[in-house]
Amino acid sequence: MNRLRIKIAGESGAGLLSTGEIVMRALQDMGYYLVADREYPSIIKGEHACFTINASAEPVHALCQKVDVMMAIERQSLEVYIDDLSDGGVLVYGQERQLNMKEVLAKAEARGVQFVHQNARTIAIDHGGSVLMQNIVLVGMLWKTLGFAYELIEAEVKRKFASKPRLLAIDLKCLRDGYDGAETKMKLEVPSAKNETILMNGTKSIALGAIHAGCRAYFAYPMSPSSGILKHLADYASETDMLVKQVEDEISVANMALGAMHMGTRALCGTAGGGFDLMTETVSLSGIIETPFVVVVAQRPGPATGLPTWTGQGDLDLAIYGGHGEFPRIVIGCGDSADSFDLIQHAFDLAEEFQTVVVVLTEKAIVKSQWTIPTFEQNKIPIVRNLEQGEKRYEITESGLSKRWLPGTSDNFYYANSDEHLEDGTLTEEAGPAGEMYAKRMRKLTLIEAVLPEPELYGPKNAKISFVGWGSSKNVMRDVIAERDDVNYLHYSFVWPLKVDVLKKFFEENTNVHLIEGNYNGQFGNLVRAKSGLEFKGKLLKWDGRSIFVDEVINYIDEQTK
Amino acid sequence: MSKQNDNLAQSAEKFMKWENDNKINWCNSCGNYAVHNAMKRAFALEGLGIKDVLMCFDVGCCGNGSDKIEGYTMHGLHGRVIPLAAGAAISNPKMKVVAIAGDGGTFSEGVNHLIHGVRNDYPIVFLMHNNENYGLTTGQASATTRCKTKMNGAPEGVVVPPLNACDLVLSCSPSFVARTFSGDVEQMAEIMRVALNHDGFSFIEILQTCPTYNRVTPEEWYEERVKPVTDHDVTDLWAARKICQDMDVNVATGILYRDEKRKGFMNVQTNRQGVKTSLVEEVKHYDIGKFL
Repeated sequence: MNRLRIKIAGESGAGLLSTGEIVMRALQDMGYYLVADREYPSIIKGEHACFTINASAEPVHALCQKVDVMMAIERQSLEVYIDDLSDGGVLVYGQERQLNMKEVLAKAEARGVQFVHQNARTIAIDHGGSVLMQNIVLVGMLWKTLGFAYELIEAEVKRKFASKPRLLAIDLKCLRDGYDGAETKMKLEVPSAKNETILMNGTKSIALGAIHAGCRAYFAYPMSPSSGILKHLADYASETDMLVKQVEDEISVANMALGAMHMGTRALCGTAGGGFDLMTETVSLSGIIETPFVVVVAQRPGPATGLPTWTGQGDLDLAIYGGHGEFPRIVIGCGDSADSFDLIQHAFDLAEEFQTVVVVLTEKAIVKSQWTIPTFEQNKIPIVRNLEQGEKRYEITESGLSKRWLPGTSDNFYYANSDEHLEDGTLTEEAGPAGEMYAKRMRKLTLIEAVLPEPELYGPKNAKISFVGWGSSKNVMRDVIAERDDVNYLHYSFVWPLKVDVLKKFFEENTNVHLIEGNYNGQFGNLVRAKSGLEFKGKLLKWDGRSIFVDEVINYIDEQTK
Repeated sequence: MSKQNDNLAQSAEKFMKWENDNKINWCNSCGNYAVHNAMKRAFALEGLGIKDVLMCFDVGCCGNGSDKIEGYTMHGLHGRVIPLAAGAAISNPKMKVVAIAGDGGTFSEGVNHLIHGVRNDYPIVFLMHNNENYGLTTGQASATTRCKTKMNGAPEGVVVPPLNACDLVLSCSPSFVARTFSGDVEQMAEIMRVALNHDGFSFIEILQTCPTYNRVTPEEWYEERVKPVTDHDVTDLWAARKICQDMDVNVATGILYRDEKRKGFMNVQTNRQGVKTSLVEEVKHYDIGKFL
C-alpha cells in the first residue's frame, strides 16, 4: 500500500493537535484516507509529544513506526523522534539556533535525510504573530515539501480560523511565506477521486453511539484516557438534554449509573483501569440484583498510575474477572472509531436483554486516534429493552432469564437484594434455594454465549501465517493483510464469553496461528487456551505503552516465515 | 388519641398495604421496628402506594429491613446507598426515593458520598440510623461512638472523639436537616412526611437504640434527654449548628434546618430547564447527524 507518513513533533501544549488537524482536513479534502494518533506525556505543558498521520488513496487503519516526513516544532521533540524518520526522509524544521543540534542533524544527514529549513519563529513574529504561529509557517513548508497546491492548505487554514479574522490575516501571511520559502522534495500520487468519509476519533464515536442508543445519563470521574467521553457528552448536553454528571469518585459513578438503570433509564459510566478497580464491588452488585450496567473502560498501561497517556490491552483480565463472586457478564472490545459506535449500542441492548454487566473496553490508541470512516448508519441497531411485567422478578427459569419490569410500573413489587434471595428477592441463606438462585443467574452465560456475534475473519480463509486478537489489533492486521496475500486474522469484538467454534475451525484451516495482543501475559491468548485447548505457534506481544505498528507486524511475519 | 393516630385510622388500609409477613430478625426492642413503623405511617399519611416509592437500603442491621416491607426496594453495598438512591431518584422524579443507612456506612465507608449527596441536593429522603456502633458485625466502634466506650475491637475504650452527625451535614450547606429518636414514632413519622415533600436531600438522623451492643445510651437514657425543639428558627443555619451540639444533656430533636431557596438537583441542571419528561421516559433513538 502506498502511504504518506507524516509526523508532527513538538512540545505538549505547542498546538500539535490543531496543526495536525489542519493537515488532516486538507488531505481528506484531496480524497486521502487517513489514520492519525497522538503520543503525549501526562503533563499539560512541555516534554515531547507527536501527532502522526498516515494517508493513502485506499482505506488505512494503523500507523507505521517509520515516517517519510517529520515536521519538528522544537528541538527536544526533534531529537526524541528523529530516528522514526526513514533514511532519505525529509525533516521540516524552523529552529534558528542550530549549534546544539549539529550532531543530531549530521547523523540524520549521514543516512540521507533531507532538510527543509526556514527561521519559522522570526517569520511569524515579523508578521506580527505569536510564537505559536510558527506552526503555520511550518505547515506551509510541509505542504510545499509534499508538492501539493497552495490553495488546498490555504482553504483549510481559512476554515480553521474563520472566526478570528485578525489572526487569520497573520496566519495566511505565515502560511504563504512558509510555503514560498520551501522546496518540493516529494512526488506523490494524489488520490484520483474524493471519498465520502467523516473524520472520527474513538471517543466521539462512543459518545455518539451512546446518545443514539438512548442513553440519558452519563456519570464519570476524570481519568485519562476516558475523560474525552465526559467532555463530548457534556458539550452536546445542551442539545441532547442528557444528564451529564461528574461525580465524586468512581464508586459513586458506578452506583449512580446502577441506580439510574434500575429505575429504568439508560445510563453509562466511563473510566480507565484504576477507576474500574473502584467500581468492581458495584459490578458484582449488578450481577446479583440482575440490573443492567454498562461501563466503558479506556485502557492505558498499569499497574497503578502506570503510563497514564499511553496505550495497551492490559485490562482484559480485569474486565472479565473484576468483582467478587461469580456472575455472568459480557466483555466487548472496541477496535476503531467505526465499530465503537455500533458496539456501545449493542452493549446497552445486551445489558438489558440479559440483565447483567457489560464492560466495553477501548484503548488510548482508539479513543485518541482519528480515522476517515464511512458516515454512521443510524437506526440500524434496534433498542432492545426486554421489559415485561411478571409475578416474580427473580423467577427460577430454565434459561436463567426472568422477567424484568421497572420499579413503580406494577403492584408486583420486588426486592433487588444484594443478599442471596428467593424468587421475589426475599433474603435467604438456605442451601437449596440459595444454590438454585446462583445457578439460575449463571445459566444466563450459556444463553449469552449462544447469541453473541461470531468473530470476524479478515484476509483469505487459509494463509501461511495467521493471527487471532481483539481490540485495536484489528487495525494493524487489516493494513498488514492489505500488503500481504498470505496473512489472515480472526478478530473478536465480543471477547467474553468466548465463542470457540469458529476459532477451532480457524485453527483447523490454518496451521501457523499466532496471537497478537497489547500486554505482557497474552491475556486473551490464555483465555483461548483455557477455553479451547488450542496452542498458538507464537505471540506478538507489546506492553510499552505504544501501539503495535504495521512495520512491526511485517517484521514479525518475515521472522516467523523465513 | 393523637392527631396522627386519628388521621392514620382513616388511612389504615393504605398503612396495611406496606405490612408484610417476612420473618423479622432484629433483636428484641431494636429501634428498627419503630423506624419501619414510622416509615409506613408516613407513606400512608402522605397517600403513597407501592408504586410511588423506592426504598434503597445500605448494608447493616437497618439494611436487613429491605425485605421487611411490602414495596420496591434495593439492597446495595455497604456505605454506597446514597449514590445508588440518587441515581434512581434523578431518573424518575415521580417516585419518592428513601435511602436507609446506619452510622457505620454513612460516616466511615461512605462519608464522601454523604458530603457530595448533601452538596448536590439529590432528591432523596435519607434516614441515617445512628445507634453509635456497627451492630451487624457485632458491636465495633463507629465514627459516632462516644469516647471511652468499650467496644468489640476497642477493649480499652474508644480514644478519639465522635463526629456530630448533624453538625457535619450542616457544614455542607444542606437543604434539610432533622434529628429524631426511635422511641418517638410520631415525631419520626411527622418529620418523614415533611421530608417526603422536600425536593432535595433530606438528612434525618435517627437516634436509634441498640439493646445488644449500645449499653451506654439505652432507651431510657434518650427518653430523659431528647428535647423537641421549640422557638427555633429553622432557616437559621448557625442556630441549627448550635443546638445540634449537645449530645449529652439536652439532645435537640425535630427539624433543625431548612433552606427553602434550594431547588433540588434536577431543577438546577441548566440543560434540563423546561424539559417536561423524566430520564426513564426518554429512552429512544436520538439523531446524531448534527454532531458529525
